[in-house]
Amino acid sequence: MNLEGKQQIWKDYQKDIADDRYYYARSCIRQTFFPGSEWAYLDILGNKLGKTVFDDPRHTTCTGIGYHSDVVPVETIMTVVARHFALMTEAGFENITPSCITSFGIYTEILHTWEQHPEWEEKTRDFLWKATKREFKKPKNLAHTSDVIYKFRNEIAAQKKYSLTDVHTGQPLRVVDHIGCHYAKMFPSKGIGGAEFPAVLSGMVNAWGGESIDYPERRHCCGFGFRNYLVMANRGFSVANSKKKFESMQPYEPDFIVTNCPGCAMFLDKWQYTISEMEGTTYGPNGYGIPVLTYEEMAALVLGYDPWEIGLQMHQVSVDPLLEKMGISYDPEAKYKNIRGENIGRPQCPTYLKV
Amino acid sequence: MSVIIIGAGPAGCEAAYRLARSGESVELIEKEAEIGGNLNNWYQLFPDRKQAADLKAKLRKNIEHPQIHLHLKSKPVAFSRQGDGTIQLTLDDGALITGKALLVASGFRTFDAHRKEEYGYGIYENVITSVELENAFINHQINTSTGHAPKRIGLIHCVGSRDEKICRLYCSKLCCVTAVKQAIELREMLPEAEILCFYMDMRMFGPGYEEMYREAQEKYNIKFVRGRLSEASEDREKRLIIKVEDTLVGKPLKMTLDLMVLMVGMEPAEGNDQLISMLNLQTAPNGFIQVSDPHSGTNCTHQKGIFVTGCSSSPMNLTDTLTDARSAAVTISEYLNS
Amino acid sequence: MSVIDSLKKDIHYIESLNSCMNCGVCTAICPAAEFYNYDPRIIADTVQRQDEESLEALLKSDTIWYCGECMSCKTRCPRGNTPGGIIMALRRASQEQGWFTESEKGRQQFALKRVLGTNILNYGYCITPDIVKPEMHPEQGLVWEWIYEHRDDVYERTHANYRHSGAGTLRKVDDDSLNELRQIFEVTGGSEFMEKIETYSLRKAEENGLDPESYFLQTYMANNGTHGEEKSNR
Repeated sequence: MNLEGKQQIWKDYQKDIADDRYYYARSCIRQTFFPGSEWAYLDILGNKLGKTVFDDPRHTTCTGIGYHSDVVPVETIMTVVARHFALMTEAGFENITPSCITSFGIYTEILHTWEQHPEWEEKTRDFLWKATKREFKKPKNLAHTSDVIYKFRNEIAAQKKYSLTDVHTGQPLRVVDHIGCHYAKMFPSKGIGGAEFPAVLSGMVNAWGGESIDYPERRHCCGFGFRNYLVMANRGFSVANSKKKFESMQPYEPDFIVTNCPGCAMFLDKWQYTISEMEGTTYGPNGYGIPVLTYEEMAALVLGYDPWEIGLQMHQVSVDPLLEKMGISYDPEAKYKNIRGENIGRPQCPTYLKV
Repeated sequence: MSVIIIGAGPAGCEAAYRLARSGESVELIEKEAEIGGNLNNWYQLFPDRKQAADLKAKLRKNIEHPQIHLHLKSKPVAFSRQGDGTIQLTLDDGALITGKALLVASGFRTFDAHRKEEYGYGIYENVITSVELENAFINHQINTSTGHAPKRIGLIHCVGSRDEKICRLYCSKLCCVTAVKQAIELREMLPEAEILCFYMDMRMFGPGYEEMYREAQEKYNIKFVRGRLSEASEDREKRLIIKVEDTLVGKPLKMTLDLMVLMVGMEPAEGNDQLISMLNLQTAPNGFIQVSDPHSGTNCTHQKGIFVTGCSSSPMNLTDTLTDARSAAVTISEYLNS
Repeated sequence: MSVIDSLKKDIHYIESLNSCMNCGVCTAICPAAEFYNYDPRIIADTVQRQDEESLEALLKSDTIWYCGECMSCKTRCPRGNTPGGIIMALRRASQEQGWFTESEKGRQQFALKRVLGTNILNYGYCITPDIVKPEMHPEQGLVWEWIYEHRDDVYERTHANYRHSGAGTLRKVDDDSLNELRQIFEVTGGSEFMEKIETYSLRKAEENGLDPESYFLQTYMANNGTHGEEKSNR
């Protein structure tokens, strides 16, 4: 594969990302399954990079999962998003940074629709006023939180405690990325690197010493498909799509998967367990799985955060072999303890998947 | 006083020859070091498989006419008119050329396949364009990047045509027939290979085209799949994994290819926009030069004394280009005598 | 109002369908087309034909419920269509008319409405840890079972503000914000839309002689296993 060809495409898709003062929009899925990632993001931005991020307690879901499950109408989600714009405006911020890819896609889509159909923006302003007596300005800058980390990847590299390298061999870690579908597939110009060869995650991987590995099904959806996972009867769709990706990436022997979408991170982690229970198949070496990291976790590991403080014990696929490879000093005994150092039991072991 | 022709491809050469034969003096301007334009990238022509080089030799011989003055490696940089309407063109070497009429025969360039990012041209090793395949035919050598004879080859139609995503809404007309011709040539070189054309509509409008399509199926065992390529990726062996829908079956299809050929469409020639602005012409919706009337004024522009021929006004195959050049010569003769 | 007239008023339809030339780039990369007997190209083509009988049949069928709204189709369409967006318009129309209860996959809207509607309006989130019950989510695995059982400890360890007011991960959304959210649903027709799903679904439950809870479980879990099978293309 010709890297120069990709670099040309990356040059064609650059986007403006504000360099400070972000209004943070939390993610329902990320905070439930990767709470440590959201904390790490805010801590890195605030304490390592000296940026101002406003974490607003009044912020709610954007209702995006309801919208893409077709139980929340478009008028409603537009007004909920408009309320977030109003909260941002009232707090004196102009740059909004959703943590969720579904939200990012929805914010992008709504701003696009308002541009194409200004009457919809007017209608939304009326709805918001009627419902909350609030008014809003549209954000000057909309970026996904992975865009922000991408923007500061070199600043993070300058402070790194660990590299994405195998300390035993000195070789770069082989990293496959998975970009959430709603990051750039709907609006390619809104994603770093565009829709076909997005550079938002591979740029971080390269900056932190790893090697980004392409694989044939890289662009394919993880299989969330909203109703296709949320309804139990449909989950075969979801697992089948993830399986297709695992089979495609396995021959490249990746050291880990990194994603920028909270849902994808969860599915790519959990479905490896499900597939192992269903068929006895595992995708990592020696019966282990392929660890899955959020980009916040990847950044936090590089910066030397404690793995359990950022929630790596919450992953079903064990990340311990990866920590060993990177030469990270950590306390394996502390993995399943609470904040006071007390034992709180430990997860049972899967039938086939080694942890 | 002469007729000035910009571009010495097939259209420019043919028009120059016809005008010279009818007694006009011609200033023929070509930016490259040799005549022929895009014809220089072709091996055999459809539908009769004549050598492109033979046609070029004939064109070259024709313009060796005492009334034709060929300016190679020259580009027009400025345009003006005298009070009596005489056209003045300044070339990049400082030469000043005057004429009673100007014919634009600047032609086309092939679509830059990098722009269809999802096809991986310039990124995946075994993705080539139809132009590159012609060059391979000239050299009688078809190999993959790993030096093997390809076992399965896919020819992808409509690359750079009929596509809103890259702002090319029009049909380039010649890609379907080029694909059929190239598939047959590939078959002759690689009797064992599986050769597939992925098309949306087979637009075999020219004389002998439909017959060639039929022959490709009946005699050359070329497979035709009705589906537009959605994306390609590369596997560890540098093969292409492609995804299309076989729309006649109504099922998604995933397939591995050793070599993928992109049938690149036609775009306005490089410098087309500058030329339009310099000559104060109008741009057609497809980006080419607007003609004054789609039926009765196909060689006329909106400027008196400025004419257009060949692919400067829209995609055309070679047969139509040469016919159009003769039509332009007649139109200009009539103008000069009126 | 005819189906096509109602579709033409839908912003998703307006934004998603120009005209289709049946090239198949959408189907080629559609995750649902690979798994189900589903073809987004045919959806676009059926809709552009504007035949009322076919449209009604489509709105009553399982077909429109297979799409996962990943929108991979939007990236590729050479005519600038978004079959996934057409699907959103069709699903809305099917629910407005009550036709979603005619198909197994359509009936699942009841389960989705109950789960997501409750979460959004009661907690201010689409998903919260409390509702990811391990018995309903065996795929979540054994680590999740452990997290779920010790969720207060695990979330505390990872700096969450679980169940508490103020800022931070998993904070409790305050009553004023929740009320604003509910008010938005009232004003924009979101509540009315969900009420429609509820009403049509309970009517169907009654027809089938099921109490709401059993009907909910049926819509959540039933799979007749025929969704990947060959049917007629139109």
